[in-house]
Amino acid sequence: MFEQFLSFLGALLDQTGLAHFWWGNAVMIAVGCTMIYLAVAKGYEPLLLVGIGFSCVIANVPGSDLTQPGGLFHYAYQGVQLLVVPPLIFFGVGAMTDFAPMIANPKLVILGAAAHLGIFVALIGAKLLGFSLNEAGAIGIIGGADGPMAIFMTIKLAPHLLPQISVAAYSYMALMPLIQPPVMKLLTTREERLIRMKQSRHVTRLEKIAFPIVIGIIVNLFFPPVAPLITMLMLGNLFREVLVVSRLAKTAANDLMNVIIIILTLAIGSTMAAEQFLTLQTIEIVGLGLLAFVFGTGSGVIGAKIMNLFLKEKINPLLGSAGIASVPIAARVSHNVALEYDKENYLIYHAMGPNLAGVFGTAISGAIMLALLGVK
Amino acid sequence: MTMPDSLYGAVMLSLIDFFASMVMITGIGVVLALFPLLNRIGKVDEDALRKSQH
Repeated sequence: MFEQFLSFLGALLDQTGLAHFWWGNAVMIAVGCTMIYLAVAKGYEPLLLVGIGFSCVIANVPGSDLTQPGGLFHYAYQGVQLLVVPPLIFFGVGAMTDFAPMIANPKLVILGAAAHLGIFVALIGAKLLGFSLNEAGAIGIIGGADGPMAIFMTIKLAPHLLPQISVAAYSYMALMPLIQPPVMKLLTTREERLIRMKQSRHVTRLEKIAFPIVIGIIVNLFFPPVAPLITMLMLGNLFREVLVVSRLAKTAANDLMNVIIIILTLAIGSTMAAEQFLTLQTIEIVGLGLLAFVFGTGSGVIGAKIMNLFLKEKINPLLGSAGIASVPIAARVSHNVALEYDKENYLIYHAMGPNLAGVFGTAISGAIMLALLGVK
Repeated sequence: MTMPDSLYGAVMLSLIDFFASMVMITGIGVVLALFPLLNRIGKVDEDALRKSQH
């Protein structure tokens, strides 16, 4: 009878998650908790890291059904995998964003492409490490620092790498205030960091309304592979700028965006199961992602310095690093680094120009990459 | 024609993509530089737009 009791107890234990718990789960739970700690205690992108960290913890508790078919986290991931979530994020971002800094200073737009050298450094690095060209392309896009675009490209090029790439992209975006400043300071002199920008011109309502329509046409005409994202970005922006549908713009920018952020963060964190995540490939992707961010930041700053060789009115090279897409984190970093040297040098408005152009730069790079790789 | 799945393909892809992106984004910059011309067409009455909420 005692043996039977033990055997029932054993069978019962087998049905709990405890029997399937291994050290990898413990490591990933620690990673999830660290993300929550960074968000709460250090203030690093709490909107992203709290949800990602929590669902990472839950995904690593064996026995949790939330990440299995029928579970809510699983369906959140379906939203990402079916490319429903990324365009909706762009829709919300468009409704939140004032593109006036980009319209007002078109010459800074080129920094949106200059800061994307990191994409190609990571791409070549990934190829050297033995990834296929499609996988290398998806890894390279981490350097665009644009989460929804990284997800979009990965689904198109290498869907099996989505967990690693989305986590690397969003984690590095959150860590940009730590990654970028040393590179920016290394590549600029004190005098360059002190350069003040001239007040930008006023952008009229007509220009602001025309912008999403013109860009929507250009993107669908020239870059159809990435048109779903940029088109939704422009639709959100049109809602904002026409002024007659403010309640739709507010919904897109607030309520809808909040819902989408919840879905996105749960989806990303839920893919971080130890079995898939604790691999050499993940370490390589995370390393290449860091390389991409460092080179992207550097190439943006150098791009601005090259522009200064031809410009009568010099621009602050710190604006170059804002050409990495991550809006508005990269612009804030440029602003904050400038403030360290001159308390009255407010770069944020000027930095938003290249920062917004970076979104288009990443999208254009992605579209060209898909075309060259023959992927629709 | 697609890129060969080799290091050569990766380098070619990177070079073409980087320079094509630069050209395209410069093109967008040129279009944006023309935007002030729109103001010759007329002016939008922002107050009227704000009042006509739907």
